[in-house]
Amino acid sequence: MAPDAPSQRTAQQLASGRAWPVTGAAEPGALWGECRGSAAMPYRTLVDLSGPAYRCSCPSRKFPCKHVLALLLLWADGAVRDDPSGPPDWAGSWLAARAGTANRAQPGETAEPKDPKAAARRAEQREARVAAGLAELDRWLCDQARQGLAVSQKYGYAHWDDIAARMVDAQAPGLADRLRALASVPHSGAGWDGRLLEEYALLRLLAVAYRRQAELAPPLRETVRSRIGFSRRQADVLADGPPVRDRWQVLARRDLEQERTRVRRTWLRGAETGRNALLLSYAAAGQAFGDSLAVGTEADADLVFYPGAVPLRALMKTGHEAYRGGPPAGDTIAGLLACYAAALAADPWLESWPAVLDVTPARRPAPAVSDAAGDAVPLHPGAGDCWPLFALSGGHPVTVAGEWTPRGLWPLTAWDEGGTAVPL
Amino acid sequence: MSTWQDLVTASLIGTERAEVPRPGIPGMPPVDDGASGDPAALLLDQAALLTAAHRAGRRPDHAEPLAQAAPDPRPAVSRAAARRLARMLGGEQPDLLVEWLTAVVARGQRVPAQLLPALLDWASRHAPRRLVAEAAGPRARWLAWLNPAWQFVLVESPAGDDAWRVGTTVDRREYLAALRARDPGAAAGLVAGSWDMAGAGERAAFLDVLAKSIGPDDEPLLEAALDDRAEEVRGRASHLLAGLPGSALGRRMAERARGRLRLEGDVPGLRLAVFPPTGTDAGMRRDGIPPGPPGGRSGPADWARLMLEMVALTPLGTWTRELGLSAARIVSVPADPWTPVLFIGWSRAAVGQGDAEWTAALVNRALTSLPAPADPSRYSPAELQPLWHLARRADPSLGAPGALAEPGPDTPQEVRDAIGVLRFRYDMLKELDDDHGAS
Repeated sequence: MAPDAPSQRTAQQLASGRAWPVTGAAEPGALWGECRGSAAMPYRTLVDLSGPAYRCSCPSRKFPCKHVLALLLLWADGAVRDDPSGPPDWAGSWLAARAGTANRAQPGETAEPKDPKAAARRAEQREARVAAGLAELDRWLCDQARQGLAVSQKYGYAHWDDIAARMVDAQAPGLADRLRALASVPHSGAGWDGRLLEEYALLRLLAVAYRRQAELAPPLRETVRSRIGFSRRQADVLADGPPVRDRWQVLARRDLEQERTRVRRTWLRGAETGRNALLLSYAAAGQAFGDSLAVGTEADADLVFYPGAVPLRALMKTGHEAYRGGPPAGDTIAGLLACYAAALAADPWLESWPAVLDVTPARRPAPAVSDAAGDAVPLHPGAGDCWPLFALSGGHPVTVAGEWTPRGLWPLTAWDEGGTAVPL
Repeated sequence: MSTWQDLVTASLIGTERAEVPRPGIPGMPPVDDGASGDPAALLLDQAALLTAAHRAGRRPDHAEPLAQAAPDPRPAVSRAAARRLARMLGGEQPDLLVEWLTAVVARGQRVPAQLLPALLDWASRHAPRRLVAEAAGPRARWLAWLNPAWQFVLVESPAGDDAWRVGTTVDRREYLAALRARDPGAAAGLVAGSWDMAGAGERAAFLDVLAKSIGPDDEPLLEAALDDRAEEVRGRASHLLAGLPGSALGRRMAERARGRLRLEGDVPGLRLAVFPPTGTDAGMRRDGIPPGPPGGRSGPADWARLMLEMVALTPLGTWTRELGLSAARIVSVPADPWTPVLFIGWSRAAVGQGDAEWTAALVNRALTSLPAPADPSRYSPAELQPLWHLARRADPSLGAPGALAEPGPDTPQEVRDAIGVLRFRYDMLKELDDDHGAS
């Protein structure tokens, strides 16, 4: 499980009792230890074997770091004793949080406010930090445009990670995610320069929009704030929004691996209302998702939407019944592009939009899908060859669901001739 | 688009050195310079406006339509079978794919279209491509036309005579296999006629093709091959002759085996006494029992090896006849310290002779209690390998619920694996017979 061979070697050197004045273990599957390093304070290392999940106070960017590996090696050698008094305070809270909410981790979610005054003061501090962070981001973006993007291909990940880390400090995690993702753009093939300019331009637009949020209509203000990383508590969303009951068709699902979490995007469409909805679920890296909405089924359920200029993200308030459904009604490509244009007009930062199309895949001049009117859109280059989609079609029209993005369609589900949903 | 490209060009150079273009967007007011008048900010603001405009104003492309695949009248396998195929292609029991595909073809079913790409990728790395092409049908040929890596499915099924005369080793082998399926005698004649010109590797390959459907007519060729120059050819010939009912080699082996196993004691305390051969003669060596190491000591260790090789080549009916017991009884009679030797020898013979009764007896024996090996703490891979083959060749009904005892806590992993394979095979064949569409 070591990220590389050097980590493993240093971990083996560290795995001696002398470097570890404090170690302990407790049920169920928790390990902790303090490791003497070069710093004045010992590094504090935690392992949850059930995940496995790890945490360490060292500054290493490797994951898991050498301290985690060394602690595991010690444990494997039987050198970590069970501690009947349980984990120390610094370890206990993280371990307890993991044990309780392993599958329900919601990044950025704030805890129940205990003291309204203190909460208001914290919120005020946060607004000030975000404002300062966005001002810094704006300067950084303008610096990039001033120096020219041509040098971006020479930069390593650190160039974007540094500014992303400053956005984390500024309590704007949404911006940090967006910035971190930019590191791969200069190496994404022809047209990278235009894509990088688009991203920088949209980021500055977000910074400007936050600065002028007082002038924005409330839904757009919500969109801006949620993209920056202000998140609403699920309980508040469920309490505030009106439930929308429908037969929600489960169109498609896409799992994304991030550094420490896995995100599952589940796209729904209401059979009666025609509304699109996006459910997000999170799991720790290496763990399974807790939810169970199978693609191709329909769920009779109440959804509550997060507020925003284009309400898309939703929570399931009450699920009534799930049953197997047939293929959803497919749109035309012109219809999809018109819907996407309308959504972009309300939320220009929108990246992924649910698509359900009756189309035939094609290979030339580039992999694409084409509808009965002869209109075509390309397949997303990141989606690979999409051979299963071609195999299912055999040159005949199929119903395809996926994510429409500025770079093309990312196909996720197709329905076979028997009307069964096939994840691609 | 050229206005956008102008902006991209300026952004690459940087506003320190490049003039910021001022493109107008039809129907939009010009971008406000802002209070700062910073050209970098102006560039980014114009880019944001154009980004939103060209994303929202995207026009559909056009694409060349593909030809349509020919219809496949066969029904797709059941959904449960499709899920199993996906698991097998993902690495679960992949060596059973050939059996699965053969069963699909025999039942007149087809592979679900969405799994064809993974199946074709697998087949491009493994034989047998012809079987895959048949199970996959016209949809696979359509895909092969799109992806050159899969073009092997486009090869015409009955390869012409040219394949034999000028083809590669693989072409010749496939030609021979097809001819063997159509006209076994003609294939045997072709092999006999080409024998002297073929290299050792190819002679061995000929025998591998014939091995799939060996019959009494093949005996003269195989008997002659016992005198072949190449060891790999001789070994195959003796193995095939041992599996051919009524062969002269089988009779010779039965003669050599006479009296080597004897029952001793009464019914509750019954045991097998073993009288192993203590050396080889020219006839034994010709029939496939290799001599020991040159100048090696002829001690009990070597006798065990000779006994094992002899049992492996002896018709299994010899033992039931000589001892007057059923296979199930024979394998359960203690024969210490010979039990592991006999178990391996019988297992190899059961695989080679395709004997269902002995296979069932041996698998059940392995399940209830494996013969105690010399070191009871572990079994060597060589001792358990016959079980691997048995589980794959045995009648799949052995995997039916209740047909075999449940493995106990002490059951070695290899035996558990063998039972897993048998259960898997039973389930996978049953699924193919289930109603379609049932999940």
